[in-house]
Amino acid sequence: MNMVTTKRIPATHRLMQLLFLLLLLLNIYPIVWIILNSFRTDKELNVHPFRLPEQLLWSNYSKAWETANLGLYFFNSLVISVAAVLVTLVIGALAAFFLSRFEFKAKSFVFGLFVLGMLIPIHATLVPLFIEMKQLHLLNTRFTLLFPYVAFNLPLVIYLLVSFMNPFPKDLEEAAIMDGSGVMTIFGKVIFPMLRPALVTAFILTFLNNWNELSFALVLINEDELKTLPLGLANLSGQHANNYTLQMAAVTIVLIPTILFYVLLQKHLTEGMTSGAVKG
Amino acid sequence: MHILYRRKWLIAAGLFPALFFYVVFALYPIVNSFYYSFFKWDGFTQMHWLGLGNYAELIRDSVFWNSLRNNVYIVVTSILLQIPAGLFFAIILNGRILKGRALFKTVFFMPVVLSTVVISLFWSMMYNYQVGLINSFFRIVGMDSWVQNWLGEPRFSIFMICIMIIWQYSGFYMIIFLAALQNISSEVLEAADIDGASGLRKVWSVTLPMLSDTIFTSIALCISGSLRTFDIIYVMTKGGPNHATEVMATYMFQSTFSAGRYGYGSTISTAIFIVSFLLIVISRMAIRKLQR
Repeated sequence: MNMVTTKRIPATHRLMQLLFLLLLLLNIYPIVWIILNSFRTDKELNVHPFRLPEQLLWSNYSKAWETANLGLYFFNSLVISVAAVLVTLVIGALAAFFLSRFEFKAKSFVFGLFVLGMLIPIHATLVPLFIEMKQLHLLNTRFTLLFPYVAFNLPLVIYLLVSFMNPFPKDLEEAAIMDGSGVMTIFGKVIFPMLRPALVTAFILTFLNNWNELSFALVLINEDELKTLPLGLANLSGQHANNYTLQMAAVTIVLIPTILFYVLLQKHLTEGMTSGAVKG
Repeated sequence: MHILYRRKWLIAAGLFPALFFYVVFALYPIVNSFYYSFFKWDGFTQMHWLGLGNYAELIRDSVFWNSLRNNVYIVVTSILLQIPAGLFFAIILNGRILKGRALFKTVFFMPVVLSTVVISLFWSMMYNYQVGLINSFFRIVGMDSWVQNWLGEPRFSIFMICIMIIWQYSGFYMIIFLAALQNISSEVLEAADIDGASGLRKVWSVTLPMLSDTIFTSIALCISGSLRTFDIIYVMTKGGPNHATEVMATYMFQSTFSAGRYGYGSTISTAIFIVSFLLIVISRMAIRKLQR
């Protein structure tokens, strides 16, 4: 071993590098395996589970897209996720503005009430919510899921925005008041633009929550035209239980956009997830 | 004294929309759940007052205790494995040992953003008896005795679920610890270097104490997260075989929507709420004691 020219790397470091490489492969290989097999038939998978596809068989994809209605579910998920996020951010920002920049008696009580919401086990609300929505004739409508999605994301959004807004200097508003602006003008022209980074984070987190949500959709939606993607996928595993390569195609169809979305927005996402948990 | 003081009607109007949604669709159902738990009800016909009858039944219901035990398994394995794994990844990735740290971070964190339904389908393809990746691997290398019906074997099916949950969320704790490590000034670590502290020694006596707050926060997050387990079980096993993978949320769902017992389902809901509340309070108290 020539120790004069090369910088010596300790054995423990070498071991760590190997270990992490192995972990990386363990994470990536199954995804590759699923994508490759989505282009094969079930019979081929059964006989030779580790072969490359002989030709690119697209029939699994067309079947998954048509019989499983994935296109429709994609659209439904997108509509409800975006609509719910927009409502959550607007009313959440408004509430956070008053909770952060104003003084009033019930302030800490109201804020505490919202923060408590982060601890509510959502499954404990499924039964009563189902009954409540039934009484309100809100089951199986285009905007059914908007109500629980807004209600259960507000605590996180308000907490994020209040934490972000609290350090803003007081003279911000004072200067605007000297100019004779009303409160809502201050909110719209001064505070809202300054909230942008926190709003982006809140948007991504809330959107992901809604996009991936299964329980509320399962209980409140049973009309096929209104189903969301997770719900449609959950049913797919039941309907095509023994058609594995078809399921793999469906998983691939959903995985690819999600991974792209994630890689593009990774920085905002990780910052948002840690802002609440780490006291900087 | 704030200049925008005393605008009561305006403050009320500004808070109203958020409070309306939150109270009507989140808080009110919790209260209602408690109310329904005193009745025998199929969701359609007349409700019958039972008093504490549902609760008496719940206490004697072995399936409920079994599902609570599974929830506890998930909580314990999550705390004991996710948090150390996240810590380990974060400490290594924060050092200068590895090249391509961004790639590792991206890949380890990815499961956190995927929907649980996709993850469940994904793992079904790992665990499947016939064509799953794990069994296919064992068959190809001639270790046929290792081939198992991973999710169909009541003795260990719940632990197969725990493995998935650990895989899914370890990256989340890695990111939290990485953020916390960024906050530890490099000066402190350099000072430890000058004092001649070796790698492990440095982690034990410098890094870990500085992360203690974050570790406690993570434990609290672990507890509340683990009690939310539902999607994985619903998609993968529906609580089977023979309730071996049943958790409180799936048992509640099954009692209410499959068996049509709204009163009893609400009783389980209330139990979920009470258990969550107790675990959070107990962990808070334990953490306060430890921090002294």
